[in-house]
Amino acid sequence: MASAAATAAVSGVVLPHSLLSHRSSPPHIVALASSFRRLSLCASPRRTTHLVARADASAEAGEPEAEAEPVSASADAEAGEAEGAVAVAEAEEQPPPSKLKVKFGEIIGILNKQFIEEAEKVKTVPDLRPGDIIELRMQRPNKRRLSLFKGIIIAKHKAGVHTTIRVRRIIAGVGVEITFPVYSPRIKEITVIRHKKVRRAKLYYLKHKLPRFSTFK
Amino acid sequence: MAMAAVGIAGGALAPLLAPRRRGAVSFRRAASAAVVVRASYEAGVGVMATKVGMMTYFDPATGKPVPVTVVGFRDGGNVVTQVKTAATDGYDAVQVGYHGVREEKLTRPELGHLGKAGAPPLRHLQEFRLTAVDAFEPGQELDFAELFKEGDLVDVSGNSIGKGFQGGIKRHNFKRGLMTHGSKSHRQLGSIGAGTTPGRVYKGKKMPGRMGGTNTKIRKLKIVKIDNDLRVLMIKGAVPGKPGNLLRIAPAKIVGKNIPKN
Repeated sequence: MASAAATAAVSGVVLPHSLLSHRSSPPHIVALASSFRRLSLCASPRRTTHLVARADASAEAGEPEAEAEPVSASADAEAGEAEGAVAVAEAEEQPPPSKLKVKFGEIIGILNKQFIEEAEKVKTVPDLRPGDIIELRMQRPNKRRLSLFKGIIIAKHKAGVHTTIRVRRIIAGVGVEITFPVYSPRIKEITVIRHKKVRRAKLYYLKHKLPRFSTFK
Repeated sequence: MAMAAVGIAGGALAPLLAPRRRGAVSFRRAASAAVVVRASYEAGVGVMATKVGMMTYFDPATGKPVPVTVVGFRDGGNVVTQVKTAATDGYDAVQVGYHGVREEKLTRPELGHLGKAGAPPLRHLQEFRLTAVDAFEPGQELDFAELFKEGDLVDVSGNSIGKGFQGGIKRHNFKRGLMTHGSKSHRQLGSIGAGTTPGRVYKGKKMPGRMGGTNTKIRKLKIVKIDNDLRVLMIKGAVPGKPGNLLRIAPAKIVGKNIPKN
């Protein structure tokens, strides 16, 4: 199955349309344990039998055409990449044709996870909750040392790689709230110092309370 | 004589005819009237794509968050389905197909047209009018990773989101009237013309009407990242339409740089 697909992919651009439209289905067989992939696996048996029959029938037809076809190196490289790419990404990307939206709907989630993983490699982001009193070190442009910001988290907006926390503190008698994107490469370190018990997700009421509730040494 | 008259009339109309296809018609008439055809060329061959969504990308150089649109490519890819030349069709263009579908979804004439190029069943066909089409052959697959690289500027066009029948304020950024102080006009157009002279409303007067749902082009968007594993392009900024929308991505036409001179 995989070899037939590989030949199909390598034989280049000019393929019978039926084969080309099914070119992406082989990874379905490689599908693993995610619920989404289970879905595609359920729907795929119908399509994979198609693929088997047609792949065998046209594998011979495909190959002689490959030599004659003035296929640019890009098509081969692209096919090779597609085959060699992570089976996870491929399987998630190409579900049965009836669910076109879901196919692309997975991509944003995957990208977010990728970026978060990359950011995690540089610094560990602890579990942040509203009510945490944190110390944050960030790199400012044109400054050698890391700047420090302390305060209480009054809000957390979860948005994948652009998850932000709003940190409040009284500085020189003035209340200051700064929104930080948690996975930004400029934020070098976040540590939780204490935790204040709160019964809210968003602590905007602190703006109207006495300054001493937002003061942290 | 009648033919010559028609030819001259056709030639005179040529500059007013904007779309490329009509350019081909006036070319035939122009051949008899010797009028130069003005046409709009692309800066290079482009691709078609699908809008997937938007997200944030942290630029590794500056650390700034950049809003990006993630643009994906459906199965079947971008395949050259026809190459039009001045000899055969009157103008030079590359016809590209996108979005592979099952055979049953296309009509036989469409399948025949695609079969002639050796292309799989594709749903959308669009032309990119160029000055030179030697490098393209029917059946050639266009890989976006080759045509574009990170940092390139592109023009993205697509159908914008339809907003329905909208008033002057939303449609034409008019300013509304006072809400209080005895004002009786809040969101109305106000005056639509002068007095006895000219005694009419000018054509093209901005008035309420249907807004959106039209082909819109956003120019000079930067490609921030190309992801080859997911077959995805990340473009800075927003593009027309909602996720799932068909987009046409072409190299940006920048005057003085890559706009071909007639």
